[in-house]
Amino acid sequence: MRWKLFATLSETVGDNVLEVSVDAEEPTLRDAFDALLAAHPELESQVLDEEGALQDHLRLLCDGEDPFHSAEGWETDLGDVEELAMFPPVTGG
Amino acid sequence: MALDLDAEQLDRYSRHIIMDDVGPEGQAALLDSSVLVVGAGGLGAPVLQYLAAAGVGHIGIADDDVVELSNLQRQVIHGNDDVGRPKVDSAEEFIAALNPDVDVDTYETRVTQDNAESLIEGYDVIVDASDNFPTRFLLNDACMLADKPLSHGAVYKFEGQATTLTGGPCYRCLFPEAPPEGTIPNCAEAGVLGVLPGTIGAIQATEVIKLILDEGDTLEGRLLAYDAGGMSFDFVPIAPNPECPVCGDQPHIDSVTEGEYAGACTLGD
Repeated sequence: MRWKLFATLSETVGDNVLEVSVDAEEPTLRDAFDALLAAHPELESQVLDEEGALQDHLRLLCDGEDPFHSAEGWETDLGDVEELAMFPPVTGG
Repeated sequence: MALDLDAEQLDRYSRHIIMDDVGPEGQAALLDSSVLVVGAGGLGAPVLQYLAAAGVGHIGIADDDVVELSNLQRQVIHGNDDVGRPKVDSAEEFIAALNPDVDVDTYETRVTQDNAESLIEGYDVIVDASDNFPTRFLLNDACMLADKPLSHGAVYKFEGQATTLTGGPCYRCLFPEAPPEGTIPNCAEAGVLGVLPGTIGAIQATEVIKLILDEGDTLEGRLLAYDAGGMSFDFVPIAPNPECPVCGDQPHIDSVTEGEYAGACTLGD
């Protein structure tokens, strides 16, 4: 699965586009997210809160769409999805 | 609407007036409009340049900083001799030299919970060209509550974000809360490619002018994410969030004078 990371997230892993294989027969967004963190544990402290949930200020996209609005959230079937993305807000001016 | 453009204005704005999509009516609308620009730094500089050049008749500038030498790598309305002067003064002089049609009001202050409502009152469009999350969330909430269109822009190193907010969905629908303090550095901490705020600020000025002209499709409902490194443009959809505290079904923010905007910008339920 291709992941696209932005701003501080891409800096942390040193690249803004990553290929991360997902070891599941019918992978969901949760599977792909877990695979991303397993491949890049350096992201964990930045993307997970104290309870291990995705930080409130980060957004995930499946092929440019918000899976928590247009699909099944973490359970979104990634069968036809080509690219996932994760965004933080930025604030410089 | 006043269409009494004088001979000099017909010449100055001739490249607008000749276009069907602007014309004398559109130019008159620009001259009749008022825009408040919050921040006269990296983003504010190109916003002010292009709004003033376009003949936006009344421009407000809010900023409490003075010009520093390290600003001049990107803040193109300030010059070497302005170092140490208030940015609002330097910005006002720049605009006066560019276009005498523009009336400028300056506010040498931070936008705060106490002054936000009165600052935005009286302006048609607000531009968030600030550099910190508390001001961004405060402007979002104040503009949503006052039903004022808001142009949002922000930069980080090689990347920029811009969107246009007109009554919902709002910035909080996308990012309900600011990141924990220290998570996302600002320009002073992280650095910024000097030309990047020029690109994002020019996009913000474009959005403001389209709003005033009521022309084209704005960034309402989507966040533009620009990466100058890869020269790529991505769009993040912004869906209305029914649980949004300011524009959702049961909003609990009804004034910006209450709640907490410093630090992580978390607002109590």
